[in-house]
Amino acid sequence: MRHKGLIGLLIAVAALGVALLLSVHVLARGIQGAESFERAAESPAFGAVWAINTLVMLAFALFIGQVGREAWRVLLTVASALLIGGLILLVISPQRAGDAYAALLSGPLSRLNRWATWIDDAISLTLVALAITLVFKAKLFSLGAEGQIFLGALASGLVALFIDGLPPALHVSLAVGAGALVGTLWGLIPGVLRAYLGANELVATLMLNPLAALFYGLILERIRLPQSGAMASALFPESALLPRLIPATRVTSAVLWAALAALAVWWLMQRTPFGYALRTLGANAAFARYGGIRLERAIVGAMALSGLLGGLAGTYLALGIYQRLPLAVSSGLTFEGIVAALLARNNPLAVPAMALLYSYLRVGAPIMQNDAAVSLEIVRVIQAIIILLFTAEGLLRFWQRRTAWKRS
Amino acid sequence: MEAILSSIFSATYLAAVLRISTPLLFAALAALVSVKAGVINIGLEGIMLTAAFAGATVGGLLQNALIGALAGLLAAALMALLLAIFHLGFKGDLILGGVAINILGSAATVAIGYQLSGARAGGLSLPPISIPDLSLSFLSEPLQTAIGRQNLLTWLALLSALGAAFVLYRLPFGAHLRAVGENEQAAAAVGIQVRRVRYAALLLSGILAGLGGIHLSMGYLNGFSRDMTAGRGYIALVIPALGGYTPLGTLVAALLFGAFAALETRLGSFDVPSQLPQMIPYLATLIALVIYAWRQRRKAT
Repeated sequence: MRHKGLIGLLIAVAALGVALLLSVHVLARGIQGAESFERAAESPAFGAVWAINTLVMLAFALFIGQVGREAWRVLLTVASALLIGGLILLVISPQRAGDAYAALLSGPLSRLNRWATWIDDAISLTLVALAITLVFKAKLFSLGAEGQIFLGALASGLVALFIDGLPPALHVSLAVGAGALVGTLWGLIPGVLRAYLGANELVATLMLNPLAALFYGLILERIRLPQSGAMASALFPESALLPRLIPATRVTSAVLWAALAALAVWWLMQRTPFGYALRTLGANAAFARYGGIRLERAIVGAMALSGLLGGLAGTYLALGIYQRLPLAVSSGLTFEGIVAALLARNNPLAVPAMALLYSYLRVGAPIMQNDAAVSLEIVRVIQAIIILLFTAEGLLRFWQRRTAWKRS
Repeated sequence: MEAILSSIFSATYLAAVLRISTPLLFAALAALVSVKAGVINIGLEGIMLTAAFAGATVGGLLQNALIGALAGLLAAALMALLLAIFHLGFKGDLILGGVAINILGSAATVAIGYQLSGARAGGLSLPPISIPDLSLSFLSEPLQTAIGRQNLLTWLALLSALGAAFVLYRLPFGAHLRAVGENEQAAAAVGIQVRRVRYAALLLSGILAGLGGIHLSMGYLNGFSRDMTAGRGYIALVIPALGGYTPLGTLVAALLFGAFAALETRLGSFDVPSQLPQMIPYLATLIALVIYAWRQRRKAT
């Protein structure tokens, strides 16, 4: 036990140390050596950046601790996908491939605002990926997060815009609660249809997503600012915004939501009867039924909680990122969440690290397009390759057989 | 109200419905074939996009509609083959594979267009090339407007629905395909090559989706634009559910979706929010899905 504590302490110290170096790199903007530390320490954001970077490092430590040797497989997959992406780049743009990859891989850490975009993006991705994890763990293929994001954002936005006279803490809480509630209810619909009628959840959520997006558009058309060219609502009042952690960025207290959500989903899955039902359902539905597990309840619960997280992601995007209701809250964030959940092997504690990893590429992509004139869509090609490589179990077996054969 | 009704029941409206339904019908048949074989093809959206891009780009560069169309179909078949190899060969998850195909189709078409055009954000601008209309000039007036100037692919789509019915219910291959979808073990036990049938089903599904894709960029519109399928590949996945998972039911359901989509442009001049008629087919499908599931459950008990 004492041994375990020592390892924990070492990891914490290492995380603090690496986070410090990372923070200095982000804040010093090109200044080298000892001077960079002074420069970084002068920044008013220094403490908060360091703290968040420590959380980032702990997320990766947790990931390695959770998935163990499988971490190699994840790294190998991502590296091979990047390599294949690089080869494609070499074919379509031989002169710029090097610059492009340098921009992609170092871009997000080159400035404070780019670093902040990375953290922001990882928060929404973590929430969506956790929503996916909950349902995929039970082998429910729900793609409903997209609709939940839209409706969660809408509910929080309406509370933010049309309820006033409340103290800030109450106003924000009410807006967040509204988003979570609406997401839960929207997730309940396909859950109930699947549990009690056996209606395919994939088809049902594919229908509910456009309905949610259309409804969002319908309301937005009625509350948009008439004089502005863009289709968007008015900016939310200050009292409905999430508290900012770092000035001049959009990094808000939602960092803690992502961390807490990951812990909560883990606890739910591993330490409660509901989680046991969920995992058994995913492993073997027939066995679960014979074992006396109430499948209906587990299905409805998983879909509703997944909806809650999806709604929360929408709330975060509205209150934290856009600070108004834009025309498109999400464009396919669900699919990005699937990649993160997949790489995390549906383990909630591994999700934040994988969301950070994947967001890093997402944020690097526009920097690459800007600096090296290589289409940012290359990153989505890499994303597709990651999914194909990672889920093709036969590919792994083929590779294992070859190495086993070589050894003998 | 009368103005709306007379605007709906007109020959131009019927023509619009047929035009708008064409890509939906192709894609819905693609979904139907894959579902019947027990290998639901989630990648329709990406396959359609790839075909739309390859067709318009190759056709535009060579100024030859036929070669363009063939290039589109080839690209679609390759994407479907990728999905089939991934799932049937390497045991990858079919749904995640489909998701990957969609991401790949959406991203690769934009990236290649961007690179071919020399890094211009708008992508390639090629002289448009389209698949010709079938002119039925012998028809008299209301019919002439309604069906006299439809694209060749629209007729092909209607024929494909009949063809799918023939293949699925009259040919041994169709019987094998349905057997594989209904009960894999039983089909294998009577000597059907399950894997081979599923490869064929996914390829057929890819080619049908590819036809829908080339209609979008070489018939419905002139040229490719990013994500021009706009969710049709996902809608197509549920149209067979509305049609009771039969080819002719799928045909009717696809026309129904087209009818509501065509309504949207017609209602522009009236004071109805454009989103409301757009919602109807989704609601209808959801209700159809529930009824279908409920009947299946009652049958089972």
